Amino acid sequence: MKIGFYPKMAVSGIRKNGRLYLPYIIASILMVAVFYIMHLMGFSKMLENFQGSGTAREMLKLGTYIMAIFGTLFLFYTQSTLIKGRLKEFGLYSVLGMNRRNLGKIIFFESLITGFISIAGGLLIGIGFSKLAELGFRKMIGLDSSYKFVISGQSVLCTVIVYSLIFFLIFLNAVRLIRFARTINLINSDKAGEKPPKANWFIGILGLLLLGSGYVLALKIKQPLSALVVFFAAVILVIIGTYLVLIAGSVLLCRILQKNKRYYYKTNHFVSVSSMAYRMKRNGAGLASICILLTMILVMISSTSALYVNREETLNNQYPRHINLSCGNEGYSEKYGEITGKVMDEVNKEVEEYGAKVTDSYSYITCSITGYFEKGKLRLDLDPMKMMDDDMLKNMTAIDYDNVTQVFFFDVDDYNALTGNSESLASGEVLACVAGKLKFGNELTIGDETFKVAKRINYKQGDFKHTMKNLVLTTLIVVVDDLGEVASRFNRYTEDSGEKMLEWEWYYAFDTNLDDDKQVILCSQLKEYVRDELYQQKFFAVRCESRAGERQDFVETFGGLFFLGILLSVIFLVSCVLIIYYKQISEGFEDQSRFGIMQKVGMTRENIKKSINSQMLTVFLIPIIFACMHLAAVLPIIHKLLQLFGHNNMPLLLVCAGICVAICGIFYAVIYKLTSNAYYKIVS
Amino acid sequence: MSLLEVKGLQKIYKGRRGGASVEALKNVNFTVEKGEYVAIMGESGSGKTTLLNILAALDKSTSGTIILDGMNLSTIKDSAMAMFRRDNLGYVFQEFNLLDTFTIEDNIYLPLVLAGKRPDDMKARLDKLVPSLGISEILKKYPYEVSGGQKQRAAVARALITDPKIILADEPTGALDSKSSDELLALFKQVNSMGQTVLMVTHSVKAASHASRVMFIKDGVIFHQIYRGDATDQQMYQKISDTLNLLAQGGEQ
Repeated sequence: MKIGFYPKMAVSGIRKNGRLYLPYIIASILMVAVFYIMHLMGFSKMLENFQGSGTAREMLKLGTYIMAIFGTLFLFYTQSTLIKGRLKEFGLYSVLGMNRRNLGKIIFFESLITGFISIAGGLLIGIGFSKLAELGFRKMIGLDSSYKFVISGQSVLCTVIVYSLIFFLIFLNAVRLIRFARTINLINSDKAGEKPPKANWFIGILGLLLLGSGYVLALKIKQPLSALVVFFAAVILVIIGTYLVLIAGSVLLCRILQKNKRYYYKTNHFVSVSSMAYRMKRNGAGLASICILLTMILVMISSTSALYVNREETLNNQYPRHINLSCGNEGYSEKYGEITGKVMDEVNKEVEEYGAKVTDSYSYITCSITGYFEKGKLRLDLDPMKMMDDDMLKNMTAIDYDNVTQVFFFDVDDYNALTGNSESLASGEVLACVAGKLKFGNELTIGDETFKVAKRINYKQGDFKHTMKNLVLTTLIVVVDDLGEVASRFNRYTEDSGEKMLEWEWYYAFDTNLDDDKQVILCSQLKEYVRDELYQQKFFAVRCESRAGERQDFVETFGGLFFLGILLSVIFLVSCVLIIYYKQISEGFEDQSRFGIMQKVGMTRENIKKSINSQMLTVFLIPIIFACMHLAAVLPIIHKLLQLFGHNNMPLLLVCAGICVAICGIFYAVIYKLTSNAYYKIVS
Repeated sequence: MSLLEVKGLQKIYKGRRGGASVEALKNVNFTVEKGEYVAIMGESGSGKTTLLNILAALDKSTSGTIILDGMNLSTIKDSAMAMFRRDNLGYVFQEFNLLDTFTIEDNIYLPLVLAGKRPDDMKARLDKLVPSLGISEILKKYPYEVSGGQKQRAAVARALITDPKIILADEPTGALDSKSSDELLALFKQVNSMGQTVLMVTHSVKAASHASRVMFIKDGVIFHQIYRGDATDQQMYQKISDTLNLLAQGGEQ
């Protein structure tokens, strides 16, 4: 045998199986390209010099690792499907006298060629598109554009090393697959008659139950922070449920349909229902994986896009004015108000000295206390966090986190100033409102103190809405006639550590007539003074922030997340599609003889087309329908989680989710058309 | 008028890209009467499978006419061909060609479902067939669960259930052991005795000896034919063997 023999065999092997190899190579090229781009932007010096690109670069670094891991898994999966489809060919070679060493050599050269094409092509495309990606990224996170074209040798090297390693692993896997297959099995591999699966009622119903309970758990969660364990359990339940339902439940459904003779014995249903029943057991797992991937894409892209699109509103919610000051202290003392009053005067003076004017300002003082709401009373003698530490499992079920409640007290004067109302209260009377599920009557008991609720109010009035900082815990707002008097009554409650439970907070926020840059400068000057002054007095959580200064951080975080979401989604989507494509192609080869028989028995071409379409449609629709169901079930939690980022715009989230589903759907429809054409060509 | 008339049938396979053409059928003429049981014999490459495929409308002839019960096959449009096959022909294959995704029962129903028949109508037709074919035990089973003989009986049932004008069988005993072969041949005879026309292609002398007439095809023409007359299966067997010997020795007609 000449030296050139094996490479020649390898080349002809790839060319003859072009229908299988082409998508594989395209997907590999794409993976390499995305890996290079992420590495370039995350690790190289390209974005290094830009102040504040830190968070975004960290995310891209993370994305690089994800790409490496996902790329390995995915290419492993695809290549083993490829090899399995070619076992017969290898069987023939071994009958003709090749031993496993020889076969190994062919596979080696095939891996070498596909690896080389993928890495070289991926790098070329990666380098070609890196500028575009960079510009897009800069635009998203609000950096200036640069016109320098960067090729990083370090990134190229890293890409080559990582993907060479991946292709080497894939090669080893292929050799393993061949080694453990016996010659006779190689030849007959696809002829082995498989038993049509029996309907398994138990597993099917179990799957439905798991899926249902996962949904219920997910929908019941009100508090993302403390209920993360529950959320995690829900995710696991839904994943297992999806697998079971698609594996066993679908067979079950087909069997039920088969029992209905009127439905089953129709030309269109007859063939597709029976072959679905035959296939689902094998395909169920694949479809479930696709469904999970799709769900990930939808969740990822709809949440990150919602965050990104809503960034300005989130920023405004978080920083209602150009300059925002706040501080807190433990317990209540008359002294606090005097100190902050002095600080406020000093701040106003400094602003004037800077040559600016304070406009549209507001300030307020609030006292808060956290307890556990039970039987119409807020108990201050229970510490839920401590209970959780003591006996987490036992208390997990005993504590309803919806009932952990934070109470904010306001003075009626502050309330009137913020809302523009003119309420007046008698002693012992309060105005109250609640954000959360909590219910109370005409009397409100907090600890040992009882208040008479004079009126229910809406906190979303004027600047009063800015007082609602925390959207995670259930929050009770209580406006009292004299804050100082009420607060000093709560001064006696202490935690085990001896700290006072009551917290005192002061907020002062105002606009200026300065531009963004000057606001940042002014803010840093103020910050120095405010910190010195307040830290001396043992205040904590002292903050002095300008909206303009925080904007970059917001844009960068959300832009980075969104950019990463897009890149990963593209890769995941391509993978999903490829899995489906391979499934259908390999099924097409199996169905060839089946449709041949049916044609001989009298099936028209039109019938064949119809039944193929209905089969395909089902296979394509199942994952996306399930993924949409999953998305709908987790949207409420996503909404809650986004609130942690200060995002509170449910309609926008819904719109983003809708757009994502639509884009996925369009992409899907195109692939569906391509795949069904390829399938039809094989079958007829 | 005969049920099936074949006149001047010719089939030429054109070689691809200037390769040599092969004349599989030269000039085939014969007729089959209603209720007849005809076997066509010939060696591999004699053109018998080509002939059957053309008769079954799975392939097109180069020239010549085929008239089945007054209908000229060449006038039927391609799109209507599958429907024609479904309504007029029953085909029994050497390799059974049952679909592994269906139960035996559903396999038998397949042509009826394609024709859009109602479930109770299909059931009634099957019930009529089941006793004579001896397949009542296996109806709910899948093809992989039953023996070759049972599969072939199921295939016969599938061919019969549409009440076809003619049954075409392509080496129906080819994949069966001798006991199953005997049973199947007996079955064909029984079906034929009820008035069903059968045309079988085979190279098994034993299979052919059950027919009422045997035609011999060689090099694309009908070379010779023998009628059973009053002969027993045994005598028929002898006659066919003699003829084949003669053919093998290159004897002239």
